[in-house]
Amino acid sequence: MVAFRLPANSRIDRSGRVFKAAPGAKDVRTFRIYRFDPESNDNPRIDTFEIDMATCGPMVLDVLIKVKNEIDPTLTFRRSCREGICGSCAMNIDGINTLACTCACSGLGAEVRIYPLPHMPVIKDLVPDLTNFYAQYASIRPWLQTRTPAPPDRERLQSKEEQEKINRPSACILCACCSASCPSYWWNSDRYLGPAALLQAYRWLVDSRDEATGERLDALDDAFRLYRCHTILNCTEACPKDLNPALTIAEIKKMLAEREH
Amino acid sequence: MSLRTPLGRFLGLGATHHAVGHWVAQRLGAVALVPLTLWFLVSLLALPAFDYATLSGWAGRPWNAVLLLSLVLALAHHSWLGVQVVVEDYVHDRGAKFAALIVLQLAHVLLAVAGVFAVLKIAFGSFA
Ligand code: SF4
Ligand code: SF4
Ligand code: FES
Repeated sequence: MVAFRLPANSRIDRSGRVFKAAPGAKDVRTFRIYRFDPESNDNPRIDTFEIDMATCGPMVLDVLIKVKNEIDPTLTFRRSCREGICGSCAMNIDGINTLACTCACSGLGAEVRIYPLPHMPVIKDLVPDLTNFYAQYASIRPWLQTRTPAPPDRERLQSKEEQEKINRPSACILCACCSASCPSYWWNSDRYLGPAALLQAYRWLVDSRDEATGERLDALDDAFRLYRCHTILNCTEACPKDLNPALTIAEIKKMLAEREH
Repeated sequence: MSLRTPLGRFLGLGATHHAVGHWVAQRLGAVALVPLTLWFLVSLLALPAFDYATLSGWAGRPWNAVLLLSLVLALAHHSWLGVQVVVEDYVHDRGAKFAALIVLQLAHVLLAVAGVFAVLKIAFGSFA
């Protein structure tokens, strides 16, 4: 059955270490951060960091970097671009999956809870294991498939309207915020593709240059891969790039129904 | 232990197919059930009394019987499709899932047959 309780070794010890702000700090904000060290036998714990925001950048990622640089160098998280384009820093901030680098502390409460993306195996601290997520992405064959050879002297052409169809879905940064917010994905990610991979499946289905549309739809005509989506819409709510995976999933279902008749 | 690649594991036994048929049937059933349920409730409430004679007289009239049979079959089918999705969502043990699906499917068939039999018995009178 679905596990509604965490397994014993994943239960969180809420009385982790506390790092107070320096006396005299004026603009103090408290961050309660999930910690898990795979090299110890301890359960995960919540550490508390009081940060003087007067000495720290405005985004949650700035806080994490400050903690790592100045307080606890063992704090582990992914980041690269720090401008919402690489998708590395996805995590759960105050109950919402989003990018730490584009999430301003000023929009959050006095106490901020930071956890890894939910319902994924945790490698360390805020770093989830995305192996299955990437395998799902690979499974939809995210590349152009054609039988017509490319013109010898130029690229394959698209009209402006055709390009516009793939414009938005191509903006997905594969951060996994959407999939990790989807209850259907939580329960069935071993067989359900999840909103991120389905958005990419759609991106290739509507690419006017692609000639494998039928094969792509065949692979999606599956009780689990596509049809576990029950239009809960958490994915669209979560996407930090303002994309709409739920809508594209509905479009894929429409394409499949269309070819039945 | 398995040394299968993550991609191989996810692709598993391949696509189930026929999933689009299930999805379309679920929606068609829902659409059909709206007028059928409305008709059922409105006609029941319009009856002058709720004793056995009035009800069986109502149910036995040809069009009423036809619509009642449609309601029973649509309801059983729609319920089965919905229950199947719920089981697939939440039961992960392969054996338990298989057993639950078989038992529930047979239960729905049994209920549908019982409903059809009841309507026919009223419509065509006692066979005894
Ligand atoms: S709309 Fe579909 S993919 Fe998005 S959260 Fe809901 S079930 Fe998941
Ligand atoms: S659709 Fe949005 S939330 Fe999902 S992976 Fe792409 S960018 Fe991230
Ligand atoms: S660091 Fe690249 S998206 Fe946040």
